[in-house]
Amino acid sequence: MIRAEGVTKIFGSAPSTALPLMEAGKGKSEIQAETGQVVGVHGVSFTLEPGEVFVIMGLSGSGKSTLIRCINRLFEPTAGHIFFQHPDEGELDITRLSDERLRLLRKYHMSMVFQHFALFPHRSVLDNVAYGLEVQGKPREERQRHAQEMLEMVGLGDWGQAYPSELSGGMQQRVGLARALATDARVLLMDEPFSALDPLIKVNMQQELKRIQARLGRTILFITHDLDEAMHIGDHIAIMEEGQVVQLGTPEDILVNPRTEYVARFVEHADPTGVITAGTIALPFDSQAFTTQSESDGLRFVAANDLTELHYGLDDQGRLHEARLGEQRLEIRSLEEVLESEARGARRADLLMHCPRETVLRQVLRGRTRTALPTLVTNAEGRVTGLIDEPQLIRGILEKRGPSPDSEPQPAAEEASS
Amino acid sequence: MSEFLEFLRQLITDPFGLLDALPVRQWITDAVNWIVGNFRDFFRTYVSPPVRGVMGFIQTILAAIPPGLFLIGIFLIGWWAATWRVGLFSLIAFALVGFMGVWDALVVTLSLVATAVLFCMLIGLPLGILCSRSDRFANAMRPVLDIMQTTPPFVYLVPAVMLFSIGNVPGLIATIIFAMPPMIRLTNLGIRQVRQEYIEAAVAFGSTPRQILWKVQFPLALPTIMAGLNQTIMLALSMVVIAAIIGAGGLGLEVYAGLERLNIGQAFVGGIGIVLLAMVLDRITQGLGEKAPGKGK
Repeated sequence: MIRAEGVTKIFGSAPSTALPLMEAGKGKSEIQAETGQVVGVHGVSFTLEPGEVFVIMGLSGSGKSTLIRCINRLFEPTAGHIFFQHPDEGELDITRLSDERLRLLRKYHMSMVFQHFALFPHRSVLDNVAYGLEVQGKPREERQRHAQEMLEMVGLGDWGQAYPSELSGGMQQRVGLARALATDARVLLMDEPFSALDPLIKVNMQQELKRIQARLGRTILFITHDLDEAMHIGDHIAIMEEGQVVQLGTPEDILVNPRTEYVARFVEHADPTGVITAGTIALPFDSQAFTTQSESDGLRFVAANDLTELHYGLDDQGRLHEARLGEQRLEIRSLEEVLESEARGARRADLLMHCPRETVLRQVLRGRTRTALPTLVTNAEGRVTGLIDEPQLIRGILEKRGPSPDSEPQPAAEEASS
Repeated sequence: MSEFLEFLRQLITDPFGLLDALPVRQWITDAVNWIVGNFRDFFRTYVSPPVRGVMGFIQTILAAIPPGLFLIGIFLIGWWAATWRVGLFSLIAFALVGFMGVWDALVVTLSLVATAVLFCMLIGLPLGILCSRSDRFANAMRPVLDIMQTTPPFVYLVPAVMLFSIGNVPGLIATIIFAMPPMIRLTNLGIRQVRQEYIEAAVAFGSTPRQILWKVQFPLALPTIMAGLNQTIMLALSMVVIAAIIGAGGLGLEVYAGLERLNIGQAFVGGIGIVLLAMVLDRITQGLGEKAPGKGK
């Protein structure tokens, strides 16, 4: 949808004087000392896939807000290209658009949500939401109807006639979101939209955004300085430091494999339970931690070396058909079923759960409160790929990673972490 | 050598005697004569009629309203613009002027002020907007505004009479020149003060510069512009006595005529009328400013 290539923004009287120094690999402070120019964004490249939420995260001064303003050219990038996949005209280089075509882009294809809401104080809530449609030149009745729909979607259907100053911060940002959604722009630029909100309201808004996103499927570029927020809503995350992207990947990738000291410090205190997946922490089934115990009725019975009474009966495709604890046959159910069932009684000793590899750690932990037995992890075809017992859960939470290579041999480690 | 010493001595004691006097008086006299000689017809054909016409129109309407109805009207306007207290105050103030026997003069003065302020807005608002959009234009305007505000009006009364002859029109022209600067300055200031985040939001939604001006900047600048209007009205009122010297009527004429005939009572009645009118217009325009939609910024 959007592809940024080497986007650079330098503030100052003679931005081009800083470019050679940047090519030479000098840092932000050196360049400022030598040329007096301030580097905002330094050669940032990324691709925003249609329908995804791409989070740019960094501390204040890392250049993230400058970068998002380069995308719709509220700031003029000093160098680099930003390609936009226009539905009718193919790929456009935003940095080359004339003023008139840039306005068309902002009007129809790209809208924005601001950190401090930036609602127009002289307009009613409804007229704020309708602003983009007004600029598009839509007739009054149509834009009011559409704006009302958007207000209802963000849960403020009754507030159209109020003024922004009468609303709480969370409500104001709902209006900001509705205003940005109303133009039907495919791309939504969100500049720290929830940073100014109270923590509880912030979490509400994140859930609200996820709900709306599931319904509308916009392509979102989201700026934040809050790692948990980034992990919660992002499909991909780019971490910025001093104007550069230091790591780009999925939330889990960043949490499990922080590439620099800076990123590692960031993720140290992140909550892993909503990010790390079962596939990552599971003990791989094909490893030496398991041995085949017996074979009968076309099933192969496998047990973990440290819990040999628990046998998993697999067919030749590796799918689970039967499980036994000693002589007792166990009930087999999916984690989802277990969590949905109302019964919350005592923790059971005769229930074995399985879950897909993409299940997040938090869900596995929840399921674990219902049964004392390990959880099996399966891939898309239903093949059992690994096992999660207490050691794996604990390591996942504390160390944010899977089985370590030195304590357990893991020939299938690559498959498990991919 | 002694010649040089003599030159030095004079440079210190009497430097202005070294040259013949700068003939500024002559220049201005010549310039005014030239303008009057060449442009009097232009001014009398194209400037006087609209000003006189607007003034006549407003005065006809205001004079046609029966005083009792006028009082009710001013009460309602005060109430609508501000509070019922302001409405009541306005009613009492105007009634007082009427009971002092200068109701007709009040109507004339109100018409004069309304006409001058109308022209100040018609000219001042666009100029103020231009100033806000171009630093170069704003810098060029600044000395002009300083001159308009600080030149003593008496200085341009006579040229005004030469161009427009005696009557309401030269008084109105002098009033317009004197009262317009706050309109321009505060329009410029109000638009420039609109917070960048609102402009940014408008730009991000693809607004044209014109849409940004009319949908965001101007409405948000309205409280400041209303403050400019308020000052313009006050300055226009401060000119009514001076305008009376060159033939404008109304409360100013009461003051001027009273002073000429040493009729202190008559002068004071006119003066009190002007003060009361000023207070009423001030309260009403301030109320309007607070009601302006951009107040929440």
